Amino acid sequence: MRSLPTGSAPSLAPLRDRIHAQAEGVVRACERKSAEEAAITLAEARRDADAITERAVQAGEAAARSDAAQRSARRRRAAHELDLAGRESLRREIEDRVVARARMLRTYPAYPRLLASLRERAREMLGPDAAIEEHPDGGVVAASGTRRLDLTLPALARAALGSPSEEVSALWMP
Amino acid sequence: MSGDGRAPSWAAGEPRVAHRDVQAIRGPLLVVGGVDGVGWDESAQVATEEGVRHGLVLELDGDQATVQVFEGTDGLVPGAIEVRFAGSPLRVPVGAGWLGRVCNGRGAPLDGGPPVTGDRLEPVAGWPMNPVDRDPPHEPVLTGVSAIDALTTLVRGQKLPIFSVAGLPHLALATQIAAQATSAGTRFRVVFAAMGLTHADIAYVRDRLEERTSSGELVLILNAADDPAIERILTPRLALTVAEHLAFDDGADVLVVLSDMTNYAEAVREVSAARREIPARRGYPGYLYSDLASLYERCGRVRDRDGSVTIVPVLTMPAGDITHPVPDLTGYITEGQIVLSPEIAARGVYPPVDTLGSLSRLMRHGAGARRTRDDHLDVAAQVLAALARARQSAALAELVGAAALGETDRSYLAYREELERELLDQGDAESRSLEETLDRAWTALATLPRQELTMLSPEMIRAHLELPDEGVDDA
Repeated sequence: MRSLPTGSAPSLAPLRDRIHAQAEGVVRACERKSAEEAAITLAEARRDADAITERAVQAGEAAARSDAAQRSARRRRAAHELDLAGRESLRREIEDRVVARARMLRTYPAYPRLLASLRERAREMLGPDAAIEEHPDGGVVAASGTRRLDLTLPALARAALGSPSEEVSALWMP
Repeated sequence: MSGDGRAPSWAAGEPRVAHRDVQAIRGPLLVVGGVDGVGWDESAQVATEEGVRHGLVLELDGDQATVQVFEGTDGLVPGAIEVRFAGSPLRVPVGAGWLGRVCNGRGAPLDGGPPVTGDRLEPVAGWPMNPVDRDPPHEPVLTGVSAIDALTTLVRGQKLPIFSVAGLPHLALATQIAAQATSAGTRFRVVFAAMGLTHADIAYVRDRLEERTSSGELVLILNAADDPAIERILTPRLALTVAEHLAFDDGADVLVVLSDMTNYAEAVREVSAARREIPARRGYPGYLYSDLASLYERCGRVRDRDGSVTIVPVLTMPAGDITHPVPDLTGYITEGQIVLSPEIAARGVYPPVDTLGSLSRLMRHGAGARRTRDDHLDVAAQVLAALARARQSAALAELVGAAALGETDRSYLAYREELERELLDQGDAESRSLEETLDRAWTALATLPRQELTMLSPEMIRAHLELPDEGVDDA
C-alpha cells in the first residue's frame, strides 16, 4: 500500500469534512431515534407499571374489602346469636318455672278433679283396660300392653309450652 | 348439624301414646308393632335415654309401621326406646318468625335461638298450586350479576336452574345471587336451602349471607353432607313451605335458592333403596321426575295476590353429563337454564356462564320496555348473535391463524375479549345495577364495526355509541 503524496492532505480536507459531517448527521439521527425509542419504551413501561400498580391496588382493595366484610359479618353474627341465645335462655327459664308451678298443682284443692279427668283421658286413648298410676310429680302415667301414655303434670306443661303459637313465643320475644 | 336432641316445637302439643313394641331395627328403619290409626308419611319421635330422634312413617302393614329415623338407629336397642306418632305429616309453623333464622332441614334452630314459631302450621310437603289460579311470571328479579341480568334475565315466579360441574364456582354464584337479588316490589325475601354441603361451604354461605340474615330478609336452611339423607329430602320442602307463606300471605317476592339439587336426588335414591323400591335410570326411582316437579312447580304467582316465589336450583352434573337423569329431568320442568362452563372458568372469567348455552325462556316477560330498559332485549340479542359469530371466528383462527383473518373476524375476536372483560367477568361480591350492565354491553358492542350491529336500530346506536365521526348512516 502506498501513502498519499506529500502535500495532498490540504486537498482532501473538504472530503474529510464532508465525511465527518455526514457521520455526525448519522450519529445525531441515531441518537434522535434512540431517544424516541427510549421514550416510547419508557412510556410503555410506565403504562405497564401503572396498570400493574392499579391492578395490585384493586386486588388489594378487593381483598381488604372482602376481609373487612367477613370480619364484620362474623361480628354481626356473633351479636345476633348472642341475642338469640338470650331469648333461648329466657325460654328455658320460663319452661323451668312453668314446670315447677305445674308440679305445685298437686297441692291445689281442684287437683283430685284434674286427676280424675286425666284418668278419663288415659282410658279414652289407651282403652278401658289401661293400667293407670298416679305419678309423684303429679298427673298420671298409663300403660296398656306395649303402649304407654305420659300425662304427668310436667309433661303436660312442656307440651303446652311447646306449642308453636306466637301467643306462647311472645313470652320470650323482645 | 342435627341431633341436638331438642324436639321442634310443633312436634309437641297434645300428649301422644308411646309405642314400645319395636320388633326390628334394619339400617335406618324401625319396625314398630301394635300401632293403630297411623298414616303414611306421618312424622314420629323416637325417645331414647340420650334424647329425642325424629322419623317418618315409610310403610304400613297391618298394625306394623316402618319408621325411617332421620338421625339413624345407631345405639338404639328394642325395649329401651319409645316411638310417638304425631298424628299428621311433618308440619311447620309459618310466618315472619323464620326471617333472620338459621335452621336445619327439620326446622330446628342452628343459631342458638328458641324454636321458630308462627301463627299456623302447614305441612312441609305443601299443597299443589291450582293451575287455574296461576298468573304467568312477570317483571324481573335483578341479581346484580351482569351475565344473568343482561342475557338470561330471571323473572318473578320463574324456575331457572344453574347447571354446573364439580369444581366450578356455582356455590359462589348461588350465594352471590341470594345476597344481591332484588325486585321492584316493596319487599324482597330470600330462602336459601343448602343440601349436602361440606361444613366449609356452609361456613362460606353463612358468612356471605350474614348481612341479609341479620337484617331479617333471609332464611337459611342448612343440611350438611353428614346430616341424615331423609332430612335432605325435607330441606327444599321446608324452604318452599316457608317461602309460600312469605309470598302469598305476606305479599313478598321470595327467591328460593336450592343448592345442590344433585345431592337432594342422591338422598331420594338412598331412601328409595331403603324402601326396596324398583330402581330406574342409574338407580334413581322411577318417580324422580314427579318428585322434582312437586318441588319446582311450587313456584309462581297467584292471581289477585301480590307476592311471588322464584326458584333458582343449583345442579352439579356428574362428569359434566347433561343427559344425567337429574339435569335431564330438571330441564323438562324448568323454564331455561344457566350453564357454567369449565372452559370459560379456565380463562379466569367469573361467573363462568356459557352465555350461548344458557337461556331464560321467560326473559321477554321480565325484560324490555317498561320492565327493565327499552334497549335491553335488542342489546341482549345483538350481544349473543355477535358472540356466536365470534365463536366461528375463533374456530377459523385456530385453523388458519389469527393473522390470516379478515378485519371483521379480527374485530369479532376483539369483541369477545372485550365482552368477557367488560361485561361477563365481575367480582363475586360485586353487584351491578342494570343500567351499568347494559352500558357495559354497549361498550363491548362498540368494538364491532357499525355495519355488524344489525339487530340494533340506528337510533339506539346513535344514542348509546356517541361517535359522531362514525355516523350510522355512513356505515
